Amino acid sequence: MRKLIIKRLLHIIPLVIGMSFITFLMIRFSPGSPFTTLRMNPEISPATIAALEKSFGWNKPPIIQYLDWLKNICLLNFGISFTYHTPVLTLIKYRLKNTLCLALFSLSLSWILAIPLAVIAGYKENKFIDKVLSSIAYISISLPSFFVALLFVYFVSKTNVLPLGGTRSLFGANVTPYQHFADYLSHLLVPGLVLTFVNLGWIFRLMRNNFIDVYHSPYITTAWAKGLSTKKVLFRHAFKNAINPMLTILGLEIGSLLNGAALVEIICGWPGMGSLILHAVLSKDMYVVMGSLVISGVLLIIGNLIGDILLLLTDPRIKIS
Amino acid sequence: MRIFLQRLRRYSKLGYLSFIFLVIFYFIAFFADLFVPYNYTHQWLSKSFCPPTKIHFIGPKGHFHIRPFVYNYVIVNPALRTYKEDKTKKYPIFFFVKGPERKIFGIFKTDRYLFGVQKPAGIFLFGTDLYGRDLFSRLLYGARISLSISLIGVLFSFVFGLITGGIAGYYGGVIDYIIMRFTEILMVFPSFYLMLALRAAFPLSLSSVQVYFLIVLILSIIGWAGLARIIRGMVLSIKEEEYVLAAKSMGLSDFKIITSHIIPNTFSYTITALTISIPGYIIGEAALSLLGLGIQEPYPSWGNILSSTIGNLRVLTYDPWMLIPGFFIFFVLINFNFLGDVLRSVLDPKNW
Amino acid sequence: MEKILQIKDLSIFRKIISGDTQNIIENIDMDIFKNEIFCLIGESGSGKTTIALSILKLLPISFDIISGEILFEDKNIIKMNKEEMQKIRGKKISMIFQEPSAYLNPLMISGKQIEESIKENEPDKKSRVIKILKEVGLEEKHYFSYPHQLSGGMQQRIMIAMSIINHPLLLLADEPTTALDIITIHQIIHMLKELQKKYQMSILFITHDLSIGMEIADRIGIIYKGEIVEIFKPMEIENLSHPYSKKLFNSMIGRYKKGERIKITDEKNT
Repeated sequence: MRKLIIKRLLHIIPLVIGMSFITFLMIRFSPGSPFTTLRMNPEISPATIAALEKSFGWNKPPIIQYLDWLKNICLLNFGISFTYHTPVLTLIKYRLKNTLCLALFSLSLSWILAIPLAVIAGYKENKFIDKVLSSIAYISISLPSFFVALLFVYFVSKTNVLPLGGTRSLFGANVTPYQHFADYLSHLLVPGLVLTFVNLGWIFRLMRNNFIDVYHSPYITTAWAKGLSTKKVLFRHAFKNAINPMLTILGLEIGSLLNGAALVEIICGWPGMGSLILHAVLSKDMYVVMGSLVISGVLLIIGNLIGDILLLLTDPRIKIS
Repeated sequence: MRIFLQRLRRYSKLGYLSFIFLVIFYFIAFFADLFVPYNYTHQWLSKSFCPPTKIHFIGPKGHFHIRPFVYNYVIVNPALRTYKEDKTKKYPIFFFVKGPERKIFGIFKTDRYLFGVQKPAGIFLFGTDLYGRDLFSRLLYGARISLSISLIGVLFSFVFGLITGGIAGYYGGVIDYIIMRFTEILMVFPSFYLMLALRAAFPLSLSSVQVYFLIVLILSIIGWAGLARIIRGMVLSIKEEEYVLAAKSMGLSDFKIITSHIIPNTFSYTITALTISIPGYIIGEAALSLLGLGIQEPYPSWGNILSSTIGNLRVLTYDPWMLIPGFFIFFVLINFNFLGDVLRSVLDPKNW
Repeated sequence: MEKILQIKDLSIFRKIISGDTQNIIENIDMDIFKNEIFCLIGESGSGKTTIALSILKLLPISFDIISGEILFEDKNIIKMNKEEMQKIRGKKISMIFQEPSAYLNPLMISGKQIEESIKENEPDKKSRVIKILKEVGLEEKHYFSYPHQLSGGMQQRIMIAMSIINHPLLLLADEPTTALDIITIHQIIHMLKELQKKYQMSILFITHDLSIGMEIADRIGIIYKGEIVEIFKPMEIENLSHPYSKKLFNSMIGRYKKGERIKITDEKNT
């Protein structure tokens, strides 16, 4: 058990190295040095640029540059943003907080909604309620996240029920922490609900199919034959076994949420990682692009790891193989 | 193929319907030139963000007209861009009307358009955009770009995935290890971030043809890893089947075994896998163009038509017909998803 | 002798996806007496399992009982509602299945799965489970074992423990030995026979193997294409009348009498 977890942890190291190397290759050999944009800015003195170039070793051979950069990111030094003139880490920290809040909000909301609905639909397989719920899930799966976001923004701008864009609209010293939280939450609602709706369909479908598979499996017949009540059969046997493989999905979801969140953030004006990397790409802000890529990759790895470990902890069959 | 269609029809009427819908859609997209009333660059300077044209059958005096007609739209308030119908003159809709000369597929010269009305009125089934261009025509031309990118992209990643996945699965060992680690690394990046970063690795301003193939390239790089892993898995399982072992024992070459035994046997799976993955390519293209990193003006794509609504609440609130491409994307995606689901069960030998 | 279960004129249909129906069981009459082992023998697809499942009302949704009654303690099981069935299942009638690995919940320790059968408010559940574990030839430590950690034979012992812990009047054993190796088969069969004597219960033993039937049964029923064609006692085996049961007998005799060749009968002619 412990061995397996350690093995999984060790597996991460080559993954991170490979990932950072590809990131470096993509960005380092893209046309135009990141310093050309800096040089055009009269506010920055040539000496600063020279110092920067030196600190990032831009004149050294690429492989040394890569190793230097790798060493720097291990020390959490992601460089300086060329457009914001602030350390990349500071930028990412703020944006990442918003993105994680958004992801966590829609993750929990979509699971809270999707799992019980999926169990109901699976239990009433092919009945009316199942057909209705499954059709909604189908629509949710087939709607691209950016389109849901656009529709939702259209709806909100027509009705003005929720604040759009940014993270807060209350400013000043006399805002209580509670008001601040409520303000933040109300701004989170538009992107959060969009992302929840997009995510809902997948979770529902996976859980429904799992539940149906489990519900028709022989050990459920055993449970009935034992004379257990419907409640016990459904929850102690069917639900528990159906939810188990979903734990891996929970980990994988972090990646798909980062993906979905990016476009939704841009459209709904939520200052998260998505809009950060988009603007960085548009303005060729290399260190921001590289930093966000590496961080999002690490997040995805962590997500997968969490899913694997959860499954390892809950499924006794895996321990042996 | 015919057997396959019969089976599809017998198994699921709805799946067959999705298939027919998609064929029609791709047909219209491919022959967009033949269906549009205007060229995609044709601008009506006085009709920026004109709402969809209403088609009338009943005249102002209550007479019924067999040939439908439209009214000319005149601007009422230039600041708010509100239009109203000028009911003094009727403009009947005619087929095969004359217009500016153009080339179909860049070869055939013609000055005829499928339908249209006399100027100064225009027929805008889905309204117009900022430059007063007919959205319906742009949508059809955009369909050609968006749908063809997805097909070419999926084909690229498929060929690439087939080669690498096939080699990895068939030979195993070190090659397998290297290829699989590489796909794993690619899959560690959230695909949207990877897509943007890959786009960043190329100059932002490129010619339209270059952008087109760049998008194909980016999307196939992203889609390749997953397909390669699926194909590797299939090859691994088939490699151990008796008939492959038998072929080996008869001394067939590796190439022959792969092409005549392994590929045909994975055909149904790959068709399904391709159908399921096409939506990802359509979304990918739309997302890139939506953000201004894909297909550039004046060329239309579903993504870049939508892009005028981003960060522009005014357009979104007052000109909601600009969202129509989104419904087209949704429609194509739901049909692909449905077809994919049905294919999965139809092509499963257990269900024959 | 007192009858514990009576099946009268039972017919079961199965709906196929294309809309047709298929006869699984046709007009079956069958009794099981107190303290007897009744062996139902037939090939796969003959409807043996369907009979067992219908006694517990566990048939899949696509199956429909169209006529007949199943009388248990003078009550018709077919007419019973969910609550009444719950009182019978696992308490008065219990069942063991062909593939214990599939019929045990993979995510629950074996002891808990046995314990579940006992009524909610009874004391000392765990010690009862451990006692029954020892009775079926397992040890206390197996209480905490997950099914995948046990061999096929041990898994079947868990199933048996689960089904007899409430001392049922009738045990339905649906090919309990088919998935097991030859040594385990005999251990399980002998154990079942001993348990049957000890707890004074009846067993409906379903198998496709006539030799097992001969070893264990008080009476044997031959089922062929959804109909019971013959019911007899093991000592009457030489006087079978139906061609299918004769065929079964001939193929078994080959295994038992040394030096005599197995008679291969032509499938198409029968």
